Amino acid sequence: MLRVKQLSKFFNGFAAVKEVSFQANGGEIFGLLGPNGAGKTTTIRVIATVLTPTSGTAEVASFDILKAPEKVRQNLGLLTSEIGLYDRFTARENLRYFGNLYGLAGQALEDRIDYLVEILDMQKFADRRAGKFSTGMKQKVAIARSIIHDPKVIIFDEPTAGLDVLASQTVIDYMQTARKEGKLVVLSTHDMAHAQKLCDRVAIMHQGKIIAVDSQAKIYQQTQADNLEDAFLKILGADAAKSALKAKEAFELRWLSKKHKRFGL
Amino acid sequence: MNKVFTVFKKEILDSLRDRRTLLTAVVMPIVLMPAIMIGSVKFQEAQITKAAEKPVLLAVENQQSAPTLLDFLNKQKQVELKQVENFDQGIEAGTINVYLNVETDFEANLKTQKPTEVRVVQKSSNVDSSTAYSKVINLLQAFNQEQARIRLSQKGLATETLSALKPVSVDIATAQERGGFFIGLLLPMFIVVFAIAGGMYIAIDVSAGEKERKTLEALLLSPASRLQLVAGKFAAVAATASASIILSMFSLYFAFKFFPPKFGTEVVEINLTLGAIGIMLLVGVIMAIMFSGLLLSVAIFAKSYKEAQNYITPFYLLAILPVAIFAQLPGLKPSLGMFFIPGVNAVFVMKEVLIKTFDSAHIFITFGSLIIYAVIAVIAASKIYSKEGILFRD
Repeated sequence: MLRVKQLSKFFNGFAAVKEVSFQANGGEIFGLLGPNGAGKTTTIRVIATVLTPTSGTAEVASFDILKAPEKVRQNLGLLTSEIGLYDRFTARENLRYFGNLYGLAGQALEDRIDYLVEILDMQKFADRRAGKFSTGMKQKVAIARSIIHDPKVIIFDEPTAGLDVLASQTVIDYMQTARKEGKLVVLSTHDMAHAQKLCDRVAIMHQGKIIAVDSQAKIYQQTQADNLEDAFLKILGADAAKSALKAKEAFELRWLSKKHKRFGL
Repeated sequence: MNKVFTVFKKEILDSLRDRRTLLTAVVMPIVLMPAIMIGSVKFQEAQITKAAEKPVLLAVENQQSAPTLLDFLNKQKQVELKQVENFDQGIEAGTINVYLNVETDFEANLKTQKPTEVRVVQKSSNVDSSTAYSKVINLLQAFNQEQARIRLSQKGLATETLSALKPVSVDIATAQERGGFFIGLLLPMFIVVFAIAGGMYIAIDVSAGEKERKTLEALLLSPASRLQLVAGKFAAVAATASASIILSMFSLYFAFKFFPPKFGTEVVEINLTLGAIGIMLLVGVIMAIMFSGLLLSVAIFAKSYKEAQNYITPFYLLAILPVAIFAQLPGLKPSLGMFFIPGVNAVFVMKEVLIKTFDSAHIFITFGSLIIYAVIAVIAASKIYSKEGILFRD
């Protein structure tokens, strides 16, 4: 359902994402893990057609992001890490506007909004203006907004950030329901405990590259760890050591060549 | 098309709930514009009547030596004769405006028909004194003529023998033109101001505002194309700015209908026929559409409200400045080239329409160039919206 092929994204010569490839299918929760600045959000934005790739491509529900960006957007629900609502609109009005933009209207849209209000437990504030909402309330509306069109692929970027335990549980329940319905849920997070509990498979990103993609069990086996956090740290540590070694070698090479030049060799 | 309308509807509703947009786009043009226009007209009227009615406070030094002159001055309505101890201090204190210093042999010289010096003392740095001074000079001239008439009639001659010519002042400006000249300065200026100010807040709100509230990405994630989003937003800004102009013009129309401006005794007529209003509205609306495209293009570069306002301020000055300069030049005959300058062309066409001296070529060039600029502005805005660097300038 989601196929990322050799995807790269450069910003003014800086490689934020380098030749990333992975695949994830319907009926699974796929974790996209990595430290801050690893390139997760950029990868997600390219997949969501908000940014254009420098090279490579991706397919969402068999639609290519370059050839059919509007079809991709119609089949993809993305919750970004930066949530914002229209302050002068109520929660329902916010949802209705986006529903309309996704081509939904009339009773079908109202039913969908009612359904989302119920499963995300928003009855108390659904008809209040969003300006004075707490972070948790905003987050719930943003989640509802991202799945208003009932997409096949759902990408959640830090969905539980700023939520209390109860609200987090609501979101987690929703992700599990979506998996049962055969959707693909991509979860991008720092929260290893949640990732460990939810994800069927995980991809670990570091410095713009994917350094591991596998099921949790296989990753534990490779790293000889018994939880995701340890495994994550070990993989990251190994990668950092590798790149440090590379950098050292490169530095020594430069140094040597300079020395050679100096002595006229 | 449906999505364009969805965006349009949302932005209009959103801005109707925004007090700032409501204030600048609706309340200000309805209340402020007529208030300023009518207010300044009434103020000017009041100043003119006040200055005309205010009598000259005059004192005469050695007044016992000039009874004829004193008698003449006493008959003048514009003069109030005063008695003071110290004449110079009287002017300083404001108890008198001007005083006359008459020689002791004045009355004797008058009898023997010899001219006598009369010093008219004023303080030119004092506005009241210098205004009174010119009135007094006129009065003394009248006194001279009066005496000349008496002397000539004693010799059996008519007063006319002294006059070689008789200047008659004729003003070929119709009442409409004089009104249009005054209204031609202020009204078009305000219309340009409202064409920008009316759309300013909503333009910032729909572009930089989306970035500041972090709703832009969610919007870009929807299947609506960038062009549809820009078109909807542009339509909302243009509609608001146009509404602002239309409201201000109608409010002004009614204001002038119920409080017609007067200058002196004449009622100044302003060409406010339906045709004139139609042309002005059309020019105003096209101008609003053009400025909306420009505002939207400028505001999208900004990350926040504040930054957008920083960008728009110089833009605003750039648009207003030529209008302010050209509209203030009273005798300026606009050349054909000036009708290509956006804003300035609108001012001149409106002025021409108001005083019924319009040229169809001017109107045609104005409409044509404004429409071309509007199209360029809209295309520029949609091009800018498809640049990811500008949308994600973190």
